[in-house]
Amino acid sequence: MNGLPGEVLQNFRDFLARLGALMRFFGQVMLQVPSAVLRPRLVVEQVYNTGALSLVIIMTCGLFVGMVLGLQGHDLLERFGSEDALGVGAALSLLKELGPVVTALLFAGRAGTALASELGLMRATDQLSAMEIMAVDPMRRVVVPRFLGGAIAMPLLTAIFIVVALYGVQLVGVQFLGIDQGSFWSQMRGAVELADVNEGLIKGVTFGVACSLIAVFEGYNAEPTAEGVGRATTRTVVISAVVTLVLDYILTALML
Amino acid sequence: MNQTPAPAAGTVPTADPSHVAALHGVDFSIDGKAIFRGLDIAIRRGAVTAIMGPSGTGKTTLLRLITGQLRADAGRVEVEGRDMAGLSRRELYAARRRMGMLFQNGALLTDLDVFENVAFPLREHARLPERLVRNIVLAKLQAVGLRGAARLRPQQLSGGMARRVALARAIVMDPQLLLYDEPFAGLDPISMGVVLRLIKSLNDALGISSVVVTHDVREISQIADSSYILSGGQVVASGSPAELRDHPSPVVHQFMDGLADGPVTFHYPAPDYPAQLLDRAEGA
Repeated sequence: MNGLPGEVLQNFRDFLARLGALMRFFGQVMLQVPSAVLRPRLVVEQVYNTGALSLVIIMTCGLFVGMVLGLQGHDLLERFGSEDALGVGAALSLLKELGPVVTALLFAGRAGTALASELGLMRATDQLSAMEIMAVDPMRRVVVPRFLGGAIAMPLLTAIFIVVALYGVQLVGVQFLGIDQGSFWSQMRGAVELADVNEGLIKGVTFGVACSLIAVFEGYNAEPTAEGVGRATTRTVVISAVVTLVLDYILTALML
Repeated sequence: MNQTPAPAAGTVPTADPSHVAALHGVDFSIDGKAIFRGLDIAIRRGAVTAIMGPSGTGKTTLLRLITGQLRADAGRVEVEGRDMAGLSRRELYAARRRMGMLFQNGALLTDLDVFENVAFPLREHARLPERLVRNIVLAKLQAVGLRGAARLRPQQLSGGMARRVALARAIVMDPQLLLYDEPFAGLDPISMGVVLRLIKSLNDALGISSVVVTHDVREISQIADSSYILSGGQVVASGSPAELRDHPSPVVHQFMDGLADGPVTFHYPAPDYPAQLLDRAEGA
């Protein structure tokens, strides 16, 4: 038992050290952002890699999340005789919560792991060292474009997820379960405000920055072994998921 | 072959213009384990210098000290007469532009094809017209015999080809100093012969200085102008390949003749074998 508090304390210290290293890394990345913006081709490539290549999974999941939301929402609202409110209920929950959070979790699983493993393998195969010897800063050439690409792609993916999910809600609610099309859309237009859209946008950007930062940090600092790259990839998913949910609570509390 | 003995250990003069790089009394340790203790090495300008020694003696670490990726705990590492520890990040990168390094596995960028890998330093450092970039890259690929492989991906290359592409990339900025980390490891005899000839011919044709870290004694002896053998964190012998062959040190004798046991023991330190076998209490 005596060892347990000591172990907890040590783990807490390790956590703080890791957090400090992450913040320092974030500072280094932000310092290099202006030079990366001057080479937009590298950033656009990464928007394609992290964004366009994640589209299929984002759209597929968005459709089914929307369809489930349609079924559950209809079942719930039917008990109160207010099925017509399905559109507005689904839109608000997708814009404010489900859209950004589920997209971030999918993004971490698809694009985050790809970023972390790519950087980890570049470390393990001396590609980053080779760049340093060629007097090319890997932070500027490799890390920052990937970070920016992810941070830009994530809000776009969130928007696409929400649109596809709303289509899924409409498909189930209107097409399958017979809710009136006019009241579905008009109630949604009447109740959803710009502030709700902004909330989703702010969350999308925040989660995009957080998930991309965690992925490039873990990959860049991966131990240069197969096991180290695997560990970095796993940590990327786990930490991204936890950080997304914690940030979601904080942002929701701030914006309510 | 012009073979001039390397300066004896401990006698490397500071900022000698005949040396492109030098280490003076360098101490270096990793996680408390001493890798070098008072290491003295000089790299002669225009020569091929071999750094040899048993595995784990810090040969690759030595290259990383020269390139400024690692900093010595004590002593000086000089390249072109400048102390690498005293350089700012900008100056360090400027110094590295005059160096090239061939990594053991080539370290080609896997998201670029052969042509773009060789063009990479040019595109990063020089704003040249595309036509000029193309001509320079093709000339370097021609020099290593792989002009026809310009559009292959790194994954499509054999180990020997990858190393030749990496060599073309290392010389594309016309460096003054070329560093080779185990250039012959894992190569078939034909590829080894090709790389061996390339190291010598590029060194002579381009007028550069080369440092080759290797333990392929026979191969490197054919082209090295001078050699150092490292063991126990220090230089145990230096000179021309012929001088090393006749060296009286048992470590040098063991290394040059490839003997399994000697001062560098075959067995990792362990308790007495029969006693360990009979000790039931001890686990596997």
